Amino acid sequence: MMIPFGKVTALLLGISLLLAPAVCAAPSAPEYSGAYAGKIVWEGTVVMAGDVLILKGGQLIIRPGTEVRVVPAEGTQIDPEYLSSQTELLIRGQLDVQGTAESPVRFVMVERSGLEAISWAGITLDRAAGSSISHAFISRADIAIRCVASSPLLEGNQLTACRYGIVAQEQSHPKILGNLIADGEGGIFCWRGSKPYLKDNRIIGNAEEGIFVDATSRPWLDHNLISKNAIGLALYPTDLPYDPTVVQGNTEDLRQLGRQGQNGVQP
Amino acid sequence: MMRLMALSLLLILSVPGGLLAKPVLHYQGDQTLIKDTVWDGEILVDGILTVAAGVTLDIRPGSQIRFTRHDSNGDGIGEHEIFAQGTILALGTATAPIVFTSAETSPQRGDWGAVNMMVSESENRLEHCVVEYGYRGFHAHFSRASLKESLFRYNLRGAQFQESQVVINACRFLDNTNGVQFRDSKVTLEKVTIARSHWGVRCVYSEVNMTGCLIEDNLVNGVNLRDSKLMAQGNRITGNRRGLYLQRSEGIVSGNDLSANNEHGIFLEDSKVEVVANRLAENGRAGVRWLNSRGRLERNLIVNNGVYALINDGDNAIDARNNWWGSSEPSQIAAAIRDGVDRPGLGLVDARNALEQALPFVDPELSGIQPN
Repeated sequence: MMIPFGKVTALLLGISLLLAPAVCAAPSAPEYSGAYAGKIVWEGTVVMAGDVLILKGGQLIIRPGTEVRVVPAEGTQIDPEYLSSQTELLIRGQLDVQGTAESPVRFVMVERSGLEAISWAGITLDRAAGSSISHAFISRADIAIRCVASSPLLEGNQLTACRYGIVAQEQSHPKILGNLIADGEGGIFCWRGSKPYLKDNRIIGNAEEGIFVDATSRPWLDHNLISKNAIGLALYPTDLPYDPTVVQGNTEDLRQLGRQGQNGVQP
Repeated sequence: MMRLMALSLLLILSVPGGLLAKPVLHYQGDQTLIKDTVWDGEILVDGILTVAAGVTLDIRPGSQIRFTRHDSNGDGIGEHEIFAQGTILALGTATAPIVFTSAETSPQRGDWGAVNMMVSESENRLEHCVVEYGYRGFHAHFSRASLKESLFRYNLRGAQFQESQVVINACRFLDNTNGVQFRDSKVTLEKVTIARSHWGVRCVYSEVNMTGCLIEDNLVNGVNLRDSKLMAQGNRITGNRRGLYLQRSEGIVSGNDLSANNEHGIFLEDSKVEVVANRLAENGRAGVRWLNSRGRLERNLIVNNGVYALINDGDNAIDARNNWWGSSEPSQIAAAIRDGVDRPGLGLVDARNALEQALPFVDPELSGIQPN
């Protein structure tokens, strides 16, 4: 059957008019999921629809003011592709989060019913050289920023209601400057030969330790406000210098750990 | 058979002195073995090589199987591999192991896919093998396999399987991104070393029996089971971030050394577990963290842990009688336990009848384990 040209034109025009408002009114945010090589730039609003891996040699730049909408993984995810069963941003290349005080980068959860308080894995820097995270707002992550053999600059971030704020392990030596780490389980953990430099951070209101340091790590603690945590400083090293005047108002300001045993109990 | 005709023999490499090397079997592109095949020597797999159902691939001691890197979708993972619907018998010897490795001059993790088994019901066996630089060193679906005295290293995952029955005996999983991962499987781990990964053992919906294993220096969890059953006896789980982490699981944990982990020796979450006669010492945050779980904590040696010996973060009580806490003095024991006394709303811990001294702890029998 032949359809007259004029009718086809009218039909197409009608379809176009129907679709046009939706297309113009709500341009969809770009979605990211999977492994990426090369250079990627996120700006405006982007959606982390699943795990994102930046491969070795790759680079992810997140511009000021970007909103990263994190889609939580299904609770039944049982074969995680990378390190976590929750949605994760895993960096084996380079990460440059370029937030500013005026235009921070925000990681926000895409809500759904039944979502747990800790609802994504956070950012892991796994042997990721030359990275920096500045003025990012991260919340509800298992570990907001985990450094594994990585020494990024972490500056001016707000890490709130995460299970752990920052973990430095496996000889990580990040510069941790002027961050707020609040209302999580623990603040900063230094494990396995890590030597972060901590200056002007506020570590407040965590349910367990503000800063935990194992026997092999040696952070440089420089005027950090540590308050309203269950234990302000939990330290294996016995000679770690810190300014006691800014470690106040915790249920217990200092717990010295080590051979004297759990809470002073001798074996 | 016709496809086998495509097999090219790359002859023959002269070496100084006039000796001749063995020819290299070269499988170019995707091919299928449709009759029983024996490999003995150098094999280059430059594609996906399928072992058809009913066919046995028999690999002789000293053989070396190399895989070229082909990453068609740019995800950093090579896809060339062995895909077995039949049976693989890779029986090397201690002096002549069989090597599965990358063909690249600068090999890296994920250069090739896996020794991959799909619906392979007869028992597949890898003995005295070295499997390295793969995505999943060993991978199985709906299969039965036995891995013995083999080394899995520098893979993204040392081994992964689903809906399978796997026995792993005296194998070492070293320096993989993740060690051993499985679901819906029945797994036996005997005298296995899993070290220097992010995750050591991770599984869901599985039954695990582990004895005499060494799980150490893994950066996330040493052993993590979710919705699974565990029988763990005489293992050493040490130097991990968390030692043993059970979620919605049940089992018996006895005679293990769960010490010197960065966080907790044992973390129980919504689980039902008998924790008996273990050594839980020198863990960074707590020997035991107990969250809404049931079971017994008895005759353990719980000493020298960092912040607490035992944390009860749930709202039910814990029966923790008859343990050695490093002291029998009630006030010192109470100070080493955090429970509802310290944080109203949490359950209490019954730590009465504390032992007067440590019971002799028998170090796990790890003979034959070579951590390096």
